[in-house]
Amino acid sequence: MNTLVQLEILRTLRNKRYLMFTVLYPALLYVFFINAYGSTDTVAGGVSVKAYFMVSMATFGAVGAVLTGSAQRISLERKSGWVRQLRLTALPGRAYTIAKIASCAVTTLPAIVVVFVIGAIEGVSLSVGQWLGLGVALWLGSFVFAALGVALGYAAQPDAVQPIVMIVYMLMALLGGTWFPVGDSLKTVAQFNPVYLYNQLATFVQPGQSLNLTAVAGLAGFLVVFVAGAAFLYRKDTKQA
Amino acid sequence: MSTEVAAFRQVSKSYGAVRAVNGLDLVLRPGETVALLGPNGAGKSSSLDLLLGLREPDQGSVSLFGGSPRAAIEAGRVGAMLQSGGLLGEVKVRELVKFACGIHPRGHHPAKVMEQAGITDLAERKVDKLSGGQEQRVRFALAIAGANDLIVLDEPTTGMDVSVRQQFWAAMRAEAEAGRTVLFATHYLEEADSIADRVLVLHRGRLIADGTSAEIKAKAGARRISFELHPADGAAEESVLRALPGTVGLDLTTRPDGVRSVRIRSTDADAGVAGLYRAGLYPRALEVTSLGLEQAFLTITGEADEESAR
Repeated sequence: MNTLVQLEILRTLRNKRYLMFTVLYPALLYVFFINAYGSTDTVAGGVSVKAYFMVSMATFGAVGAVLTGSAQRISLERKSGWVRQLRLTALPGRAYTIAKIASCAVTTLPAIVVVFVIGAIEGVSLSVGQWLGLGVALWLGSFVFAALGVALGYAAQPDAVQPIVMIVYMLMALLGGTWFPVGDSLKTVAQFNPVYLYNQLATFVQPGQSLNLTAVAGLAGFLVVFVAGAAFLYRKDTKQA
Repeated sequence: MSTEVAAFRQVSKSYGAVRAVNGLDLVLRPGETVALLGPNGAGKSSSLDLLLGLREPDQGSVSLFGGSPRAAIEAGRVGAMLQSGGLLGEVKVRELVKFACGIHPRGHHPAKVMEQAGITDLAERKVDKLSGGQEQRVRFALAIAGANDLIVLDEPTTGMDVSVRQQFWAAMRAEAEAGRTVLFATHYLEEADSIADRVLVLHRGRLIADGTSAEIKAKAGARRISFELHPADGAAEESVLRALPGTVGLDLTTRPDGVRSVRIRSTDADAGVAGLYRAGLYPRALEVTSLGLEQAFLTITGEADEESAR
């Protein structure tokens, strides 16, 4: 199984378009946002623009990395017959999905780290423990979306999966505080948006705040739902192939 | 022989209203090289899917090496190359072969596998940049990545040019000579004729012939006797022609000028021709030709169609 994980990671890092979209694009957006909002301002009740968008762009990149990385690839490789070919090997059936999630998890790291580095250069100031804690929180949170990506990859054909992923991704980002903070009127709805909860994981770095346990519980709930969906669709697919 | 490589026992599989495999009963024995023939839609690929456990039969059971197909695959006893089996993009051929050898419980050395499959010169190429025939050879490499006891190939030479095809079968023969059982489905009947020591003919999900290629030809009527009967030479009853020794098929057409053109498929052409003269007939433009496996195949499947139409 490690062999497959290695191969998947190698492929992902080799795909320049993918890296561009998931690493470079959020980084550029980050620079754009802090300039557009005015870098000395604060948003969402006193958080500096630089810190706010550093987190939201890190999550934006991470969600993009895992969603496209898993959903599109799984869908394409189901169609191409690679998934069937793997079923003719001694690898257990779950190895394919696990390798996909593992390679996603590796690629979310650069997406998060690059935005953090820009944030640090721009003057976001956190303690070493906060930097590490934030990185780990965002990295772990990305697994929720990896599971969603796997489910979508088994649910849709390659020509449909790209628009579906884009719509899901953009809607969740739009209403989840990625491009602008969620207003009070939308907060009730946002509680049911995994990207909003994901962004909320970062609030512990703000003065006087601890880890948002509601967000953690909400994300855990989504993880359970997405994993169950992915497992169901995977079994369905296995019977058809 | 008591050992079985693979066994289908009364296996049926339907997709909606289509019966892809219909009561298949079949045993493969160690060391055989078996060709699976059949027109498109005969159930070849479905049978191979069932054999490899990619699909479950509706009725009956499939076993590989006495256990389930999945158990045999996990034990590294089966290598397969399917038409529908895709390759992974964005990797080099060498990396893909190395991967296949690495996950095989009894994997070979990648360099050896690439050499056997004739893809050493493609090692550094990206898999997405290969031609159809090159892709087929990479698929073959994946099928022989380890010490399998059974190799299953579905239309392996599709897209290969003639010289590559010969090279491919040379590699395949080496596998068979090493004592492996080989099962391949093919469109090219000359491949079945020259390579397989057992030929299975599948038609509409049923096994309609099973034997050596010589036996299949004999079953179809191995030779064709064709000649003309002219009115000037006297009348001849059709029943006389049918009664000729060895006749298994008769095709009679009458031209406007009264000349009758006769084509007989016969298992014993010598006796058939002798019988013609004994019956007092005067066959003109007499020709005796042997049927290839291709014609035998068409004959057998055609007969099966006639039977089911009745």
